[in-house]
Amino acid sequence: MNILSLSGLIPEQICDTIRFFGYDGQQRISHYCRYASDYISQILEDPEIDGAVFPRTCDSSRTIASYLEECGKFVYSFHIPARQDRAAVSYLADSLRRYKTAVEQHYGTGLTDVMERTSLVNERNRALRGSYEHLPELSYSAYLDMVHGLLRKPLREQRVSDDLPSCPCPDGPKVFVAGSTQTGSGIARQIEAAGLHIVGDRLSESHRLVSSPEIPLEGDIFENIALSMLSSMPSPSQDDFSRILREDREELLRRQAQGVIFITQKYCEPYDYLFPTYRKMLDGLGIRSLRITVSGSQSENETALVVETFANML
Amino acid sequence: MAQLYLQLQAKLMRDYYRDFTKYAKGRKPERKVAWVTAFTPVEILEALDIEYIYPESYAAVIAASGKEQDLLRESEKGGLCRDCCAYSGCYNGALSAGTAPRGLPPRPDVLIATNNQCNTLPGWWNLLAQDYDVPLIVLDYPGEGADREQAFSYVTAQHRELIARMEELSGNRLDDGRLERLIQNSRDSVAAWKKVVGLLPEKDIEPTVLFDGISYLITSRCKPETAEFYTAMYEYYAASPEADRGRKPVFWLGYPLWYHPQRYLKELLPDYRVSGSNYVTWWSLDYDGDEPMEQLFTAYNYTFLNLSAETKRRRLQDCIAASGAEAAISLRNKSCKCDFVSARYIGLPQVELEIDMIDREYLDMDRAGELMGILREIL
Repeated sequence: MNILSLSGLIPEQICDTIRFFGYDGQQRISHYCRYASDYISQILEDPEIDGAVFPRTCDSSRTIASYLEECGKFVYSFHIPARQDRAAVSYLADSLRRYKTAVEQHYGTGLTDVMERTSLVNERNRALRGSYEHLPELSYSAYLDMVHGLLRKPLREQRVSDDLPSCPCPDGPKVFVAGSTQTGSGIARQIEAAGLHIVGDRLSESHRLVSSPEIPLEGDIFENIALSMLSSMPSPSQDDFSRILREDREELLRRQAQGVIFITQKYCEPYDYLFPTYRKMLDGLGIRSLRITVSGSQSENETALVVETFANML
Repeated sequence: MAQLYLQLQAKLMRDYYRDFTKYAKGRKPERKVAWVTAFTPVEILEALDIEYIYPESYAAVIAASGKEQDLLRESEKGGLCRDCCAYSGCYNGALSAGTAPRGLPPRPDVLIATNNQCNTLPGWWNLLAQDYDVPLIVLDYPGEGADREQAFSYVTAQHRELIARMEELSGNRLDDGRLERLIQNSRDSVAAWKKVVGLLPEKDIEPTVLFDGISYLITSRCKPETAEFYTAMYEYYAASPEADRGRKPVFWLGYPLWYHPQRYLKELLPDYRVSGSNYVTWWSLDYDGDEPMEQLFTAYNYTFLNLSAETKRRRLQDCIAASGAEAAISLRNKSCKCDFVSARYIGLPQVELEIDMIDREYLDMDRAGELMGILREIL
């Protein structure tokens, strides 16, 4: 079973999936998120991948199934509620059961270790929280590489390293990294090379796991997982900008951030809509911001230049 | 006949725009105001005497008046990326600039967004909620992909909560009988509209009439005058001459171009007639069910863009077959990624044009002309 999953909104407690971060694919769809189109490419082209699971949370992801209709692989579109109330928890719990059944039926196997996997997710997230708390002392790009690396592995093989290199520029201006999932740590390295000190992030692959509440192992496990998923750091695609702004404001102040580098994929509308109001919040706090849109057409040198200019401003 | 049809149309339009301008800055209208997305269960709002405004429709009106470029630039200055849905760019630009062709809408008391059409609209509504500091309600419709019973229970809980919150906002109590009558009005409007749409393949009618005519099914579908208006419209156009069979029938697959005087590229189609369009069927909601909660669930959970890829494709095939089209002009709309893949497997020669329904600067007319030339050769 080699299921490629898109986004941190796919539950890891049901079965192993390989988290997608990037692929140099052939499928190019105009005015469409590159991240989603590369995901489609990998599903279509990579013989090692036999399944796809993705959330239906943005306009690009809600059409992925159409592109994969004839791929002959396991294709599952996960509806993540756009609300966080009791009805949404209950609905999501039912969806988790349905997802489990769909995987079992397609692969002809029983998934009997949800409880054990939940315990492993709790442990892994606890360890990640430890690393995240010490982030100001660590190299952020190495931390991000470690997170990306472990999410590509089966849950049982995921080890949170306690041996990350130290922060290369601890006296530099303190910045946060926010935005959509990163395809790699390239921009983080450029930020560090510009002398900036990354003290925290609001990325789905990192902070959603760090912010994820411990899941109780007693009671209805699916309800517990659903509640934890909806209580973790929300994506703008979950339609609660007020909560994002409130939580991010607290975190930025707690870590005394002087700047925020907001990185998004081109055509990533949930973040495109969040940005104007996010920038307003930062302006109100006197925190400077830099927006980087990863389009695939911008060279590394160009990105490095804007990051350097931003560093000089701080 | 023409007089009745035009009178009814004028009345619907007058009613809808009644409160624009005068209540935009501070003064409060008598009724509470909701800004809603195009597939909101407005029967609930109408039953509670809440006024509802459709920003998307208004963006189309702004583009039709030729004002969209300045407003798109205005919203871009405020940080809204030009890649976002141009409906939002155009409308938010009007709010920032404080001006629009028919005035500004009354300020909202509540914002209601649904995701049964796309996921862009709730994002746009979130942004508006931050600007206006009013409650935001996002209605979450899982669509056809979900288990029906599970989805019914989830959606109905939200509809009931919407009723409770709107009762509180308006100070009115929901009358079940009134809600039933309003849903019946919507059904009647849909039935009457379908008859109008059925004329397009047969009669000498410009699709412009339908692209503009459907706006009342969006803004006024549960008002009794709407079915009356569409019935009058049907009677008027049923008396039109037969379609010119010398011109090849083509299917317009995608949005109207709101900025274009004819809403489609008439200048590139001298030898063709548009005999069908999927856009004009989108609001033909199916209020199937035994009681109001079930009817609202069926209508709003199973909107066209919330159906599975397979069902959408089948519906589209039926729609194209009914039009008798021999070719299709498929639009890849920069503003609407949800509609990107509707054009597959239709079994007809087609050209694919890159457009935006609001932003006229987006279309490369030379390229569009070349593609139409290729289609002409194929046919």
